[in-house]
Amino acid sequence: MKTLKIRNLGQIKRASLAFGDLTVLVGPQATGKSIALQLLKLMLDAGQVQSEMGKYGLDWERSLPEFLDAYFGEGMRSIWQRGKTSVRWKGKSVDLKQIARHRRSKKKENLFFIPAQRVLALRDGWPRPFTDYAPGDPFAVREFSEKLRVLVEQEFGASGDLFPQERRLKQEFRDLLQRHVFSDFHLKVDKFRSQKRLVLGPTRQKASLPYMVWSAGQREFVPLLLGFYWLMPRTKVARRDDIEWVVLEELEMGLHPRAIAVVLLLVLELLMRDYRVCLSTHSPQVLDAVWALKHLKANGAKTNAILDVFDAEHTQSMRRLADAVLAKELKVFYFDRETGKTSDISELDPSAEEEGKSGWGGLSEFSARANSAVTRAAANARPEPAK
Amino acid sequence: MSFRTAVLRTPHLQNALRPGLQALRAKDRPHVDPEDTRRLEGSVDVDSALQSRQPNANRWDFAIGYRHANRQTDFIYWVEVHTASDKEVKVILRKLNWLRSWLQNDGKLLNQIDREFVWVSSGVTTFTLDAPQRKQFAQCGLAHKGKVLRIPLARPT
Repeated sequence: MKTLKIRNLGQIKRASLAFGDLTVLVGPQATGKSIALQLLKLMLDAGQVQSEMGKYGLDWERSLPEFLDAYFGEGMRSIWQRGKTSVRWKGKSVDLKQIARHRRSKKKENLFFIPAQRVLALRDGWPRPFTDYAPGDPFAVREFSEKLRVLVEQEFGASGDLFPQERRLKQEFRDLLQRHVFSDFHLKVDKFRSQKRLVLGPTRQKASLPYMVWSAGQREFVPLLLGFYWLMPRTKVARRDDIEWVVLEELEMGLHPRAIAVVLLLVLELLMRDYRVCLSTHSPQVLDAVWALKHLKANGAKTNAILDVFDAEHTQSMRRLADAVLAKELKVFYFDRETGKTSDISELDPSAEEEGKSGWGGLSEFSARANSAVTRAAANARPEPAK
Repeated sequence: MSFRTAVLRTPHLQNALRPGLQALRAKDRPHVDPEDTRRLEGSVDVDSALQSRQPNANRWDFAIGYRHANRQTDFIYWVEVHTASDKEVKVILRKLNWLRSWLQNDGKLLNQIDREFVWVSSGVTTFTLDAPQRKQFAQCGLAHKGKVLRIPLARPT
């Protein structure tokens, strides 16, 4: 069983995360979701992380506090509590001090991390290299940014359209993204004086829009799109290199619910390619999708019903996608701020007795309160009978 | 006016008042859980009481009178125990329309007492928490309470 158990790390007092094929983490801000996901990366890729850090001149002098600052970000040494913090991965105890002490060098990477701060990966419309960041910036952000730089320079550097592109993503995805994210625009590489940059252009001939005038949603989405490109290579292989796991933090950022639905479909595509995907989210829409998948599966629904949830066409390739997803195990965990503990709320039962479970980890609290206030007012309004 | 008096003075509900939750069918009783049963002011099986008078109407199930610790007057829970799924939404809303209309025309005394219209799931709930249906219920004054209506000692103000 792929279970990560954490005690006394940052805000987390006790967490037990048994990962499924798709695992969703929910909970208020600063409850340890991101720490848990970065720790998962460390469990799977300690050698590769240390190798990358060494390559760019980071030296933690085999000290755990220095390593935590370099990996999680400046000041994060405080998450580790001497004598209290413990971590277990797949049933075995893991000593973080040992990880910091023994420098390893490994190229094989198991987990690809798309961080919440992904918008920082582009500056003036071009991906920033690892060394462009301050030494105290989180490793996950720096590494993601570096990967985008390599991707754009090696696979798109010669200029031309990054989106839409025939051999990138299914036609159905391209159509949905065009409609819900890019409108009439293309994403392409051009040059301003001698500087290459990504721009949005209505056509190849007309004037292009530079990064600073993109919508907030487009600025958030482009790094995410490039992340999906990284995970779905143009070759016929389903997955890139040795990557088996994908972490995607807050996929909803800056996006309209229709665009979120497309990103969720792309997540299903990752599942079909046998990636194991972990999401963190503050969006009730993501849990609506998980809830729908569970109930459709339980009720023996046909694949078209799944596609209807995402407003996707019933084409053969999309039906294959939906079919594949029905076989996947879906898990949801709630990070509770009050107790510092996690709970498994995978059932997503709206009539559950515990508030954390029925309220889906607080994601529907506001909506529930609004409904309750209106219900009360409407129940006791007594309009005059019609004459 | 108390719940008990209002029921006794409603001709359509002659002889329908029962102590505690005794008007509820045995299979429906587990769906209602009062914190203090001594505060129950009685219950009425509206559906059965009106069956002969309005056999084809979408009749509501029950009314439960309760005296909350923080209130000076009675409060009525109008309870419908029913499957909670998308396809039943229309049925429930028809029942609620019928109940409101009956209260306006034939249950005027009961219509004056503060209340909540409650739909309790008889089985699994199969619509999401912030589905548009919830907004629709709210606008109609209908509260969906999951599998069990828990009646607290004090009613939140």
